Amino acid sequence: MGERGFATDGGVGSTLGGDDDGDGTDDSPATDSDGGGASEFGGEDIVVGYPNADEPVVDGESIRVPPGEVTALVGPNGSGKSTLLKGLADQLSLDRGTVRVDGTEVHELGAKRLARKLGLLSQDNAAPNSITVEKLVAHGRYPHRGAFESLSDADRDAIDRAISMAGVDHLRDREVGSLSGGQQQLAWIAMALAQETDVLLLDEPTTFLDLRHQLQVMEIVERLRDESETTVVLVLHDIEQAAQYADHVVALEDGAICARGSPESVVTEGLLADVFGIDAAVTRTDHGPQVTPLRALGDGDGGNETGESDGAEE
Amino acid sequence: MTEEERASEDGDRSLADRTTPWRARETGAGGGLTGRLVRRFAWLDAPLFALILGSTAVVVVGGLVQVSMGSYEMTIGQAWAAVFNPNVLFDPQAWDAFLLGEAVPEMRTESLIVWNIRLPRVLVAVLVGMNLAVSGAIFQAVTRNELASPFILGVSSGAGLAILLTLVAFAGVTLVVPLVVTEITLGLSALLPVIAAIGGIAAFLLVYAIAWKNGTSPVRLVLAGVIVSTVFGSLQTAMFFFADNIGVVQSAIQWTTGSLTGVDWEQVRIAIPWTVFGLALAILSDRQLNVLLLGESTAKSLGMRVERARFGLSAVAVLLAAASIAVAGIVSFVGLIVPHVVRNVVGSDYRKLLIGCLFAGPALMVAADVGARLALRPTQIPVGIVTGLVGGPYFLYLMRRQENLGEI
Repeated sequence: MGERGFATDGGVGSTLGGDDDGDGTDDSPATDSDGGGASEFGGEDIVVGYPNADEPVVDGESIRVPPGEVTALVGPNGSGKSTLLKGLADQLSLDRGTVRVDGTEVHELGAKRLARKLGLLSQDNAAPNSITVEKLVAHGRYPHRGAFESLSDADRDAIDRAISMAGVDHLRDREVGSLSGGQQQLAWIAMALAQETDVLLLDEPTTFLDLRHQLQVMEIVERLRDESETTVVLVLHDIEQAAQYADHVVALEDGAICARGSPESVVTEGLLADVFGIDAAVTRTDHGPQVTPLRALGDGDGGNETGESDGAEE
Repeated sequence: MTEEERASEDGDRSLADRTTPWRARETGAGGGLTGRLVRRFAWLDAPLFALILGSTAVVVVGGLVQVSMGSYEMTIGQAWAAVFNPNVLFDPQAWDAFLLGEAVPEMRTESLIVWNIRLPRVLVAVLVGMNLAVSGAIFQAVTRNELASPFILGVSSGAGLAILLTLVAFAGVTLVVPLVVTEITLGLSALLPVIAAIGGIAAFLLVYAIAWKNGTSPVRLVLAGVIVSTVFGSLQTAMFFFADNIGVVQSAIQWTTGSLTGVDWEQVRIAIPWTVFGLALAILSDRQLNVLLLGESTAKSLGMRVERARFGLSAVAVLLAAASIAVAGIVSFVGLIVPHVVRNVVGSDYRKLLIGCLFAGPALMVAADVGARLALRPTQIPVGIVTGLVGGPYFLYLMRRQENLGEI
């Protein structure tokens, strides 16, 4: 999708499905002829866990992500939301189940082709301190370049677009190590944007950021939805943020999906009590349901909304 | 919040910064071919250029000292005249002798000493310096640890053990290689360079096998390296215990500390093909190395097959280390310090780092060998002792100065 960029031009969208999909697995005519061009993405019957653990974290869940929209995975600490995301992103190998992008199973795509369709910004990012923001963003073009190719003009355009979309033009020549946590996160998001994937997965992109940077990150997510056909899936720590920005919310508890649907239907007092273990008041506002946490229920795990740090996180 | 408000809050964001496209900034006024050339060599910035110049100067001065001093005294002028003796420089027969191992043609004594004895030693130092520095730089990216060295994955212990086994246990064994018309009989010690390299590579593979469990991780690789090095180190010491004459022990020590004593064109011939091949692969892989630095999950989500890249790059690094072991033994600290020094000067971008290592490695090696050969004249000490003596204090200095030593 090198040329497509973030334009909403529907006509160009059709170029991405057709040309490099020439392998045998053509059992998805519906997605290829899909006029919108946004990518179908989802997983079926996913069983995924960590190599050293006996029990899988997520045991047999299916998830279908609405194309071109923003889907938020929410749940208390240890509910398996990040694990599910890593499974979807092919970072953790599935014990069972399939993940498909545009009807093709991710394993059949090959690493680089998958990385042109599916991007993931993980939580634990580390860059050398002396790398500049621009160089970091340029790494997002890795899957678009041959092994020994230098940056093409298309790559440079994509980098420019990503930098301006993430709002880090002014940081372009700064070294990543000299930036604040929030600015670093924006730089990393710019890198993921430069990858220009159809589907973008973000693992807790707003955690540990100050409010302003949280808003900046969520504004980028909104723009991705509004100005391009990117399908976004993100894990959010903050259920209120999910309610405000997501089109579709999926709630997990103990590795099982316990609710899914529009923010209004998922973020309810009942769900907050059952899943998050808190007594909260939910008021409907123009910006989606608003949550006012009142108190923690019982002494079960993961009930503390004030952000008590997580021991055995997913 | 509007664009302007955000701009004023961030302070240093100027309108020009936002509107100038980077192509224009990077290439200056000239577009087209010059623009592309400028872009292609954009990595050659001032610090790197200074490093290259400085290192080259050290190599030239060190080389000059090496060729002019020794038991056959000659002045620096004489030695220099011999180096640039056109009768040798432009004599194809002489180059056949040096590079292909044919008979050395007639030449003056000065020329013979300089070209046949002293210069190859400088050349081997240059090659070893390049190999070890680049090898160390690669391992530092693969393990994402600035304190990694070419020998971190057991290469040195494997090579050392192989050398001691050959010298002590199989000293009398000869190898008969049947050829069509005749057969050649080789003492195993004649094959010492090859055996050392093979031992190192075998240890590396063993380390990888130990570390493998649904894939590897930098930490597991380093731990497996420690395990193998510890066991092999003990076995080495045991072999010393069984050595029955002091000559064998001294020869083994020369190998395991690294020495350039007595090297000549044959060592140059052994090292050059592997060096050229390995260094070319390393420099072409700069982007892979840079992406590895971003961490495993990022590298993976960018479409890199991390496990394959890690093994491939490690193999290149081991190849380079093995080539240097084969000609100079196990020279410590060069592969650890040089990438470190270069990183402090040019930053962590691997294009610049590797190019810097190509120059700084030889500089350290040549300078250290001057010390090794001339410090206690007429006794020569193994060059590895000098690099260790220089390397230890350098790390002490770094430890005192830098808070978070070890992070790239």
